[in-house]
Amino acid sequence: MSITLDQVTKHYAGAPVVNDVSLDIGDGEFFVLLGPSGSGKSTLLRAIAGLSAVDHGRIALHGRDVTHVAARKRGVGLVFQNYALFRHMTVAENIEFALRVRHMRATARRQRRQELLRLVALEGMDQRLPAQLSGGQQQRVAVARALAHKPEVLLLDEPFGALDAKIREELRRTIRQVQRALGITTVLVTHDQEEAFAMADRIGVMNLGRLLEMGAPHDLYSRPATRFVATFLGAANLILARRTPDGIQMGANTVAAAERSPGVEEREVVAVVRPEEVEVAASRDALSSGYLASGVVAEVVFTGALESLRVRLENGVQAPLLAQPDGAAGASLLVTRTQHEQRGFEIHPGQSVAIGVRRVHVLPTPLSSFTACAASPALADALSRQPLLAELAVRMKTRIAMRAEPQLGVPEAACAADGPFVGTTALASQTDCAHQAEWLLRRGAQDLLVVPEHAAVPQRVLIHWMGEGARSATLAVSASVLRHLSAEAVYVGIFPEQSARARAQHGMRELLDARSEAQLAHGLEMRTELRFGDVAQELALRLAEAPAQMLIVGVTELTRFAERFSGLLDGGQWPMLIVYRGSP
Amino acid sequence: MSFRQPSVLPGFGLTFGFTTFFLSAIVLLPLAALALAAASLHWSDFVHVVLSPRALGSYRLSFGASFLAAAINLVFGLIIAWTLVRYEFPGRGLIDALIDMPFALPTAVSGIALTTVFAHNGWIGRYLEPWGVKVAYTWLGVTLALTLISMPFAVRAVQPALLEVQRDLEEAAETLGAGRIYVFRRIILPAVLPALLTGFTLAFARALGEYGSVIFIAGNLPMKTEITPLLIVIHLEEFDYQGAAALGVVMLGISFVVLLAINLLQAWGRRRHVRAAH
Repeated sequence: MSITLDQVTKHYAGAPVVNDVSLDIGDGEFFVLLGPSGSGKSTLLRAIAGLSAVDHGRIALHGRDVTHVAARKRGVGLVFQNYALFRHMTVAENIEFALRVRHMRATARRQRRQELLRLVALEGMDQRLPAQLSGGQQQRVAVARALAHKPEVLLLDEPFGALDAKIREELRRTIRQVQRALGITTVLVTHDQEEAFAMADRIGVMNLGRLLEMGAPHDLYSRPATRFVATFLGAANLILARRTPDGIQMGANTVAAAERSPGVEEREVVAVVRPEEVEVAASRDALSSGYLASGVVAEVVFTGALESLRVRLENGVQAPLLAQPDGAAGASLLVTRTQHEQRGFEIHPGQSVAIGVRRVHVLPTPLSSFTACAASPALADALSRQPLLAELAVRMKTRIAMRAEPQLGVPEAACAADGPFVGTTALASQTDCAHQAEWLLRRGAQDLLVVPEHAAVPQRVLIHWMGEGARSATLAVSASVLRHLSAEAVYVGIFPEQSARARAQHGMRELLDARSEAQLAHGLEMRTELRFGDVAQELALRLAEAPAQMLIVGVTELTRFAERFSGLLDGGQWPMLIVYRGSP
Repeated sequence: MSFRQPSVLPGFGLTFGFTTFFLSAIVLLPLAALALAAASLHWSDFVHVVLSPRALGSYRLSFGASFLAAAINLVFGLIIAWTLVRYEFPGRGLIDALIDMPFALPTAVSGIALTTVFAHNGWIGRYLEPWGVKVAYTWLGVTLALTLISMPFAVRAVQPALLEVQRDLEEAAETLGAGRIYVFRRIILPAVLPALLTGFTLAFARALGEYGSVIFIAGNLPMKTEITPLLIVIHLEEFDYQGAAALGVVMLGISFVVLLAINLLQAWGRRRHVRAAH
């Protein structure tokens, strides 16, 4: 491995800007770190270069641990967005800088310089000053300069940001050629997904300091695992659907799904439909793909090769529609059509069309939507406006439904509302909260989020499960929640006090197992802690240690639930997510 | 020259008129008057006044101490500016404001303050005394006073230039393998050199004209600790206006030559860059 990052974390003013990032980049690989501004990608690159120190974690280059090695001894080449050329030096002096530092002889220097200038197609420019070059030429000089000392790793920090489209394209090609010719391991940081697709062997998508997903460009585009990656890499229609044994059901219609999995438990899922996978036709019979709904064309935009449509849904799937690519309200789908499709069926605004879906991808996330549950509609409405819950829904691009249960917490009473509990059920934290929580869990709620009135967005999430049956589900839910928070994840393993000595060794192994499962199966990096004592008590103690924490607890049985958790739940100050997976 | 030049703010003719009038009234006319006053002196008398051993001694002290003060401020001004620009620390704003104090203080106050501290029984002077170091009433005291009053010029001239040296450049040099000293020598220094020279020039010019603070700490022994401005005042007190004017003309001449030399040096440095480009 050329570059190995292990749990690299960097805090700035208390908040993590790079959050537990682990990553292996192979020899000669072109790796692109993609993310919006503020996602921590540049900070990570600077950490690899040695320009900013990490708080914890290790960085290795070609098997050499360089975590505490100064930038000048790491043997990397770095190219900055604003070129960072030495303005008082000529092109030749700039390129030879690294060689001069290394006391290379003048003739050898000149030879290497000519070689590099040829590589970046700038022959004969030796005696120019940077100010006499165009932006594209300056960046070529910067690339040549960064390569002069034959670094093992080339790092590019948004190198095309300041250039116009045409030059950008050209320079992209040059850099890719140079990289292939030299076979040098390269990391490029960008916020431009098109650039990432065009250049990368592999892309790592970052958001909120976390490395969300990694993969080849095509895999990430067609099979994203998270909402963020689905919507950040190109446009996507996110649709709340139901997974049934027959396929994916959207509204009233079952759309044939690519990932058909018979015998599966029916539940709400988040489906991704790319705009180019939506088909529009004059009537339902004319569709060649699964019928979704009928709609009215609201907008037609010609963008050159493709035509972009916005189609308002008329029946069937209004409610399940989640987020719009641009955040617009109302149930409308984004559709793109090729010239060929346009010629086959011309479309004008206001026209009624039948909508079909060619391909659906279902996100593996267990958190689809929220249902605010309370004793009255008014209370449910108030709960749906709780800042933390509202913020989570916005970040997850999902909706908050409401459900009134007048008998909430009354023993033996049945559910008043029809239908099963959909998505994650939210409950306001209050004095007899533990009983209400148990009541809901016994009546079919699987994931229950208890939110105190003044809860803020957490900076640390504690994870614990009671019973191995809940482990996998708890980790999946935790991973899903943490993708939307810039918080650190901490798994708290708790063992009975009297067995401390005997269980310590076993406990250690369990912690490490949990960590590697989280990492491998769910892409979740977490720290681990070992504690001894009563579970609820230890968790309460841990929560009291710092503000802005959240607790995720997995449970497999509800016996004495209210009793055990009343200390944590009744009037608790912390948001708590209970993941209940009863043994069948 | 055309007075019609396109510009965002119109009125080149008017502003040029103001510029020439202001410069004439404030700078050129008084200087001409000085030269005229000296010219009424007979040539042999003029030479006698300006080349007297006492006058020569005062030139040596004035220019020597001013040069030394400017040189000291070149080094420490850069360090102070660096500290203020590059580091965040509590009280930075206070220190930044403190730099300008010598500007605001009447120079006589600075002189008295320095004398109090550095006299043989002063706060610092009493500890230097046993080592045989005398500050007050020696050339050392003169240099000290000139350093104090010219310091803000050096700091303020370098500060903006340092602000402009981008961190990226240093980081780029670092990733290319350069050590700290190398980065300073090859990246930072070339970038701030023009500003440093400007700071030096300003500090030197300011020190040369200083009078108020020096007379308190210098002791004013003829030939030893007497600066030229003081000698001029002494001539004035004896109602020897022509003698005073003659000394003034000499100072004016030497200052002009020195400042011109520094300016030419800077221009030469700039040209060298442009030439290197072709």
